[in-house]
Amino acid sequence: MRPVTDPRTMPEPATIIDLRPLSADTVFFRLRLEEGAASRFTFLPGQFVQLSVPAGGEVPVSLAGIHGRHGILELCVRRAGRVTAMLHDLPAGAVVGIRGPFGTGFPVDAWRGKNVLLLAGGLGLAPIRSLLYHLLRNRPDYGEITLMYGARNPAAILFKEELAELSGRRDLHLFLTVDFATEEPAGGLTCRTGLLPTLLHGVNFPMGNTVAAICGPPALYRCLTAELDNFGFPSEDIFLSLERRMKCGVGRCCHCAVGSLFCCTDGPVFRLAEVREIEGAL
Amino acid sequence: MTKNFLKGDDLPRFLEILAGYGELHGPVRSDDGVITFRPLCGPADLLLDYHRTLIPPKKYLLPPRETILAYAPESGYRQPGTPAPKIVLLGVHPCDLAGIAYLDRVFLGNEPDPLYDARRSALTLIGLSCEPDDSCFCGDRGVSSAGDLFAERTGGGLSLTSMSRRGSEILEKLSPFLAEKEPPSSAQRACSVLTEITLAAARQETFRQSPLWDDFAARCLSCGACSLCCPTCYCFDVLECGALDGKTATRLREWDNCLFRAHGEVAGGHNFRKDRRERFRYRYRHKYLGFGPTRGEVACVGCGRCREVCPAGIDLLELFTGGCHETGN
Repeated sequence: MRPVTDPRTMPEPATIIDLRPLSADTVFFRLRLEEGAASRFTFLPGQFVQLSVPAGGEVPVSLAGIHGRHGILELCVRRAGRVTAMLHDLPAGAVVGIRGPFGTGFPVDAWRGKNVLLLAGGLGLAPIRSLLYHLLRNRPDYGEITLMYGARNPAAILFKEELAELSGRRDLHLFLTVDFATEEPAGGLTCRTGLLPTLLHGVNFPMGNTVAAICGPPALYRCLTAELDNFGFPSEDIFLSLERRMKCGVGRCCHCAVGSLFCCTDGPVFRLAEVREIEGAL
Repeated sequence: MTKNFLKGDDLPRFLEILAGYGELHGPVRSDDGVITFRPLCGPADLLLDYHRTLIPPKKYLLPPRETILAYAPESGYRQPGTPAPKIVLLGVHPCDLAGIAYLDRVFLGNEPDPLYDARRSALTLIGLSCEPDDSCFCGDRGVSSAGDLFAERTGGGLSLTSMSRRGSEILEKLSPFLAEKEPPSSAQRACSVLTEITLAAARQETFRQSPLWDDFAARCLSCGACSLCCPTCYCFDVLECGALDGKTATRLREWDNCLFRAHGEVAGGHNFRKDRRERFRYRYRHKYLGFGPTRGEVACVGCGRCREVCPAGIDLLELFTGGCHETGN
């Protein structure tokens, strides 16, 4: 039996039990932790893990699923560098390492009774998916739930089947957009053309008693927050999941500071009000 | 009056007793003229009158590069069983002791780092009084909590003060060689720039409008010397080194530098601090305003190393003395 070690400093082995490509450069992984580690692993939507590819290195990755199934983690990883390229080459059954979970996550308990507007761009759908499934699992606790998701083009839309299934739900408003389209998205998805901030203008969503959660590429935050400002959305009610290169996860390596806050320990989920005046935050 | 004066002639006795606590290290002038902390060959090696070493004592607690994990397919990731050798570090100036006290707060605070913890427990620190020069500005910081013993140079010998249980134990063993002598009155060091730093940090000053950032950015060579020689710079990078067998690997952490371009880069190439001006501000913020658990703490201990080694003559202190005040985030 393995000795109990600190899951924040020592990678726990996790087996790839399932993997499937979501787009040309992004793969969905389902991992299973070993018995002891599985029982200790709980997390909130918005938290992240450090994923080790043996002999390759470690990368921070958002958790894309929800806590529940015993020791099963879902991750959505784009091939963006050396470590992620090695991960994409691994077959099902291969063992990787997991440290964490790290960070604060979305304050889902404090959101009870509120409407939730979810805004995701590109791979930013990964943590938003975790959040969405948490909200849907506890559906009676929340008001109206709206998901707006933008991808570069129809082929880059992640989780197409799931989105198609979700679009049939009557307790969720789902809107998709692509930056440009030369073809129809597969799977019968209804999809607009245009940028995500433009989509905000074109659809109705509840304004009062609403919180917004945003995750996407760096450029998206400035545009979306400017739009939400125009709508009069209070910046205390806008939550952003920020991307930085967290190397240690425990607030020591100092690569991920946003102002005087650490993305790895104080974030990665921040209120817009906390970070909007910080130079370089968005 | 306490018995705590050690005559200069009895220094070898002191070193003999200290040798019972580990290998003796101290400031030594190397063959190429660089003052450096290294193992002592004998009492004559030890410099009692020196300004500063090139590299601060952080190298004893955070080696420039160290293995944090070892990977093998059959056993997965494992912590390396690196033994921490017992070391007695002599001749550490108050600024460097303050630097170690700061690193202790970072690495032994919440969730102690096991590697740092092991090295720190095996390290005995003997402080030494100093004479300031034009580069340093520690002011009157008082005696930091990091040392075990502090030695004040005074009339032909050392006046010793215990700062820990281990320090008291050492003094006890040394007592046959100690004489009674009035402890030297510590001179008050007025330091105007330190006052400026304290005031600026208290109001979370970012000097956002200062023209100096552009000036610094234009001159900086991104060589990283300022961080290497800083007693409180501890940023580290994490690297995985695959072995030639193609199966095993070691994971290393090594000193990093916030003025390097890659410091703010994320996967895919986006850089959150792509120009040097932003990187300088990042350094300023960490050094004077603090990050995370050290928020609100000034990390600069006034040792003067960065001002001395910068090949471009960049001096962050100009921010404080330039008279440009504008609070902002």
